[in-house]
Amino acid sequence: MVTRDQVLDALRDVEDPELHKSIVELDMVRDIGIQDGRIKVDALLTISGCPLRETIVESIRTKVGAIPGVHEVEVNLGVMSQDQRQALIGKLHGGQASPRGRSSFLTPETPTRIIAVASGKGGVGKSTVTVNIAAAIAQRGHKVGIIDADVYGFSIPKMLGVHGRPTLIDQMIIPLEAHGIRVISIGFLLPDEDQAVIWRGPMLHKTLTTFIGEVHWGEDLEYLLLDLPPGTGDVSLTIAQTLPQSYMLLVTTPQEAAAQVARRAAKMAEKVNMEVIGVIENMSYYRPAPDASAVYIFGQGGGAALAKELEVPLLAQIPLDTPIREGSDQGIPVVLSAPDSPAAKAFRQAADLLLAALPVPARG
Amino acid sequence: MSPKRMPTPVEIGSVTDKTLTLVWSDGHRSTYSWPSLRIHCPCARCKDGVGQIPPTIRAMSMGRVGAYALRFVWSDGHDTGIYPFPLLRFELCECGEHGREREIS
Repeated sequence: MVTRDQVLDALRDVEDPELHKSIVELDMVRDIGIQDGRIKVDALLTISGCPLRETIVESIRTKVGAIPGVHEVEVNLGVMSQDQRQALIGKLHGGQASPRGRSSFLTPETPTRIIAVASGKGGVGKSTVTVNIAAAIAQRGHKVGIIDADVYGFSIPKMLGVHGRPTLIDQMIIPLEAHGIRVISIGFLLPDEDQAVIWRGPMLHKTLTTFIGEVHWGEDLEYLLLDLPPGTGDVSLTIAQTLPQSYMLLVTTPQEAAAQVARRAAKMAEKVNMEVIGVIENMSYYRPAPDASAVYIFGQGGGAALAKELEVPLLAQIPLDTPIREGSDQGIPVVLSAPDSPAAKAFRQAADLLLAALPVPARG
Repeated sequence: MSPKRMPTPVEIGSVTDKTLTLVWSDGHRSTYSWPSLRIHCPCARCKDGVGQIPPTIRAMSMGRVGAYALRFVWSDGHDTGIYPFPLLRFELCECGEHGREREIS
């Protein structure tokens, strides 16, 4: 005889694919009917057009079907009422982590490690570094997210091959996911990705605070990377004024001109009390053939000099390599598309050093 | 940790107190009178002078700004001043030691 508790236990393993929580915990299970081996499950979806309803149905069928003695599973899906959705949002926002119902990133005690990827100068490969570090962190089994804070020059969606619109549950945005990385970008909210963002500062500010405070990143998020725009402008300042605890990762090329501008980003970090966690030197050298000697197109030593001056580690020197560009254009970070390439190895090395420098507390 | 991190408050008093007390990560205890804090508002508009500030002025609320500053909403409605921790710790602190510290350094 199958019991209600057995079915509930099985349903506990069914996660809402967007909210990353058990449907039992989310109060999405309304009713369970048991007639010998025939089980009927009534569940409520958050919104009627839930794009992943088939995934949920399939998952319920598989989990409940695996209980010994069950030979038929019937799943009926309904949709939550306004009140039920509100209760759910309260649950997602709240929990014990943030009693005031705010995103936990907004408290100094947040267990999530927030790393702003900054450069000063543009075109040094911040976004490429961001997606590859994130992919390497995800590969190490950590929950990681990216905020594409380069609102005018967003490129993260393309580089991760993630397109589409995030689900909105009332006022809360569910991030999209690619290669195990949760992502939010202004690109997801525009009519299409070829649209340009032509805004003044206050709109930027609102967008950024929304990405930080009103996106459901999930309580289990361990690392959040922010791909900053070049420079020390509005966006960087908003980040600095909004997050009570964050770190800066500096990206530069070996060129003195790039390192000098990166130094100004570090100066800003000092003023707003953000700790610079390390330097990544991108486009360090080019090797025309595996056995050829390295060609230092942008000169040598800029990253090392910057790191030395700031008394922080040089986390990696990333070579110029065609697979990096190809991976970015295909939406697959080189860490995943060509894992044995020298560039991928360098990115993994940088990610491992970051993880070691910023361990996440164990979670209960 | 990189070497030169700014001091941060580990204890922040309440806007209902007679004077504001901050206890810093370096162990120092600072007190501030409310009118003096208002007069020294570092915002762009106040930098050239704040005009007449009534001695009864109080902060209605205050909060942290990121990891580096405090912000007050004053009873005269002003709220655009962001007070970086180094300003509060080394320049506005009224304990009387800072003149000496500045001379030494």
